[in-house]
Amino acid sequence: MAPPEPAAARPPSPIDEAAVVAAYSRWAPVYDAVFGLPFLTGRRAIAKIVNALPPGRILEAGVGTGMALKRYDRKHRVFGIDLSPDMLARARTRVARGHLGHVEGLEVMDAGNLAFPDRSFDAVVAMYVMTVVPDPDKVMAEFVRVTPPGGRLVVIGHFASSGGFYHWVERRLARFAARIGWNPDMDVERLMGRPDLRLVARRKLGPLWLFTLLTFERV
Amino acid sequence: MAERGPHEVDPRLLEILVCPLTKETLEYDRDRQELVSRGARLAYPIRDGIPIMLPDEARPLE
Repeated sequence: MAPPEPAAARPPSPIDEAAVVAAYSRWAPVYDAVFGLPFLTGRRAIAKIVNALPPGRILEAGVGTGMALKRYDRKHRVFGIDLSPDMLARARTRVARGHLGHVEGLEVMDAGNLAFPDRSFDAVVAMYVMTVVPDPDKVMAEFVRVTPPGGRLVVIGHFASSGGFYHWVERRLARFAARIGWNPDMDVERLMGRPDLRLVARRKLGPLWLFTLLTFERV
Repeated sequence: MAERGPHEVDPRLLEILVCPLTKETLEYDRDRQELVSRGARLAYPIRDGIPIMLPDEARPLE
């Protein structure tokens, strides 16, 4: 008998792409006002990591309205992708108004089917993305494909905690995932356990330590 | 170098984008504002300067 597929053994994800796009279309006009401050810590932490890297090509997956773009050092060449055209339209305006010349491209793309060649980025950044994608394993495989050995993969997620109050809250939130557009019930282990990725840093992030920042090196 | 209109795609982009299905390089159709994948027989639209790299949104080639 074949060993069970880890991904297949899990219950099907309550998220589908159409629901995500529809949810973010509703979120787009108010997204910055609602999520600007809570996610500021994450954007700062990510920018610090990215800006410590030598000049290179950076991919921000799930770039959304482009709130983090201005924080990246101008030495880098930055690309941003998102599944939501409404969110990207706002990012485009932000790039034009802020004269963010280091942003070379914004594209509507499915993170599980990237339109970039192998090994085309020195670092891939994904903030609050892995919990909204229908197939996190496929997305991680694509991130690995576009990163050369030695490259970095920096992920912030709202990962299910092992127990306690947050676990209880997350379980309840999971029922409404399709409506609000993300899946809070997701474990860090599902992202890891890949032989081509080495976890180099892991830390909890505010607010309320709900988020985890993971830095991987592509090996 | 020619001036780019506000909705025209950045030429630096074309150097890096590939077909999401076949991972082959794309041809830029300036008149139609499309990125053509010969292998997948699909043309990906560019809307307001943003390439839509989703097979579901692409135009099938005859």
